[in-house]
Amino acid sequence: METHLIQMYMRLANEFARTFDSLFHRIQSSMILKFILGLFWHLLHIAVSLVHIWSYVIQQLRCYIISSGLFAKYRNFSLSRLRYLAVIVDSQEAKHTAKIKQLLSWLSAIGVKHVALYDAEGVLKKSIDFGQTRLRDRSAGTCLDGDVNCVTSLCNYEEMSIELLSFTDGKEGIAKAASFLCSDYLKNDSDDCGRTETLFTEANMTKALKAVGYYGPEPDLLLVYGPARCHLGFPPWRLRYTEIMHMGPLKSMKYSAIVKALYDFSKKYQNYGS
Amino acid sequence: MRLGLERGQGLQRQQLSHAMQSLPPLPGPANGTLVVSPSRRPQQQQNLLFPCYPGAASRVRSSKRLHVGGNNNNSNSLHNGLPELTASPCVAYRTSRLVSADAAAGSGSGSASGELQEKRVGSAEAAALLLPDGLSPEALPRHVAVIMDGNARWARARGLPVSAGHEAGYRSLKQMVKLSRRWGIRVLTVFAFSSENWLRPKAEVDFLMMLFEGVLRENIGDFLREGIRICVIGDSSKLPNSLQKLAREVEEATRNNSQLDLIVAVSYSGRRDIVRACQRIADKVKNKLVDPEDITELLFAQELETNCTTDYPYPDLLIRTSGELRLSNFLLWQSAYTELFFTRTQWPDFGEIDYLEALCSFQNRERRFGQRDV
Repeated sequence: METHLIQMYMRLANEFARTFDSLFHRIQSSMILKFILGLFWHLLHIAVSLVHIWSYVIQQLRCYIISSGLFAKYRNFSLSRLRYLAVIVDSQEAKHTAKIKQLLSWLSAIGVKHVALYDAEGVLKKSIDFGQTRLRDRSAGTCLDGDVNCVTSLCNYEEMSIELLSFTDGKEGIAKAASFLCSDYLKNDSDDCGRTETLFTEANMTKALKAVGYYGPEPDLLLVYGPARCHLGFPPWRLRYTEIMHMGPLKSMKYSAIVKALYDFSKKYQNYGS
Repeated sequence: MRLGLERGQGLQRQQLSHAMQSLPPLPGPANGTLVVSPSRRPQQQQNLLFPCYPGAASRVRSSKRLHVGGNNNNSNSLHNGLPELTASPCVAYRTSRLVSADAAAGSGSGSASGELQEKRVGSAEAAALLLPDGLSPEALPRHVAVIMDGNARWARARGLPVSAGHEAGYRSLKQMVKLSRRWGIRVLTVFAFSSENWLRPKAEVDFLMMLFEGVLRENIGDFLREGIRICVIGDSSKLPNSLQKLAREVEEATRNNSQLDLIVAVSYSGRRDIVRACQRIADKVKNKLVDPEDITELLFAQELETNCTTDYPYPDLLIRTSGELRLSNFLLWQSAYTELFFTRTQWPDFGEIDYLEALCSFQNRERRFGQRDV
């Protein structure tokens, strides 16, 4: 009887030991697994951080090299294709006129001749003072397409002509041109009864924009300074084939980024859809 | 890596799941956003850095396994509803909510046929269930516009005829429509053919016209089934008569659909859109409905061709493929506050990963619509 009991106890003890053993092994293996997984995750974390740090260092190095003019290609590229440059600035950042003037100085140093400065709320028109301002009559309409001198509000700054634009020069300008076209259409219709229906063309709209003083040349390149990559209501009639490059916030603008943008533009090929 | 998810190891699976949830997220521009290379081929998708936990795909598989043994139709439809997961393991979907939604629907309705969510997506909440991790349904763009550029270059790079590039582009478009429908994008505008494209070789233009006709005929059933409303904008007078007639028929047949508005711009020019709006206003002026002095920007906007979709006529996000950085006469008026996303990927290669990257980029931008922060 006692032997039987002892054997039973021993069997129970073995069972307990086996259960605890397998449980211990399971816990141990899950802990090992957790450790391995955590280690793998942190290694991945470190690898991604290193990649980000490396790309940041490369970017800073590239900015320095471009700014210092070490690369000949960034010193001697042609600006012949850049007849008109437009710059969009976020209206909140447009109040920093010192930054705007620094940007214009850089553009002038690179060799840009004609610049359109745009901000949606018209802050630039109110706050920036270029000293010598040359204004044209808004009703002047006898100029060729693409002619910079067709611009109605021009300033001179560091051997560049600067055009200041805001939201009212965009969609509102087109609405006024439409009003002009419709008034003209009504007048001609009443003079010539029974005339067949007039179909407006793009040329009609261009002439109307010139007549109401909201015409300007199409920029070849548009640099967008701001948090969002939008053109913020830049005159839509002038944006047909414009290259748009987002440069980031104005407060972190860099000379090297402008040089690179202009260089990249000089290498662009456009087939205009054909 | 094998994580030991064989049947019968429920304890290990739960512990693993708990371990996964306690791990920190990867660094990057924002949690859950993709870190991708500028240009990509389909075979390079496996080299992407993951935005999600490495075991997310196995979590999906485990949740699918949990569902095995339930209603056969539901499990099959779950599998059918998530075909891309096994193909692209770097994207994790919110499967837990999918499972619960499926279980709730399965218990209520008995047998469900067809794809899991496609028939049931009739509300924003249901569409959000299919969103990948990292995208919040509230911040998704409602109207996405796409300039589908790069078909010819894609074909030339492979030594194929240009027509092969356009056909591959059509497959990309089909996938994008499917993804937009699944993720709850309300309007999708695609730039299929511009007014300047008429200058291309006649053979290519004729092929494209035939392709458009074939696409409309082939997919009319899908449009009706998926609730997709078609609207064709552009100068239709230059299109072949058969295509004009078919486009009108498809528009009429899908007029009452409301899940997704697909606007196809064929022979479209942004400037011409503005001029046509001006013409319509002139007709109203002639009929004494409007005075010339009352023409405002708002009145003008109502006459644009994109107003065929009444809810969201202006795109929130515009995607252009193949590395070009311009609008090319597309939606000039409508894109004033549109987030512009340019990618170097050619259009035939533009897939789910690229679309997610564009949507994540949209969600991460600070857009003020011209107003100041209060």
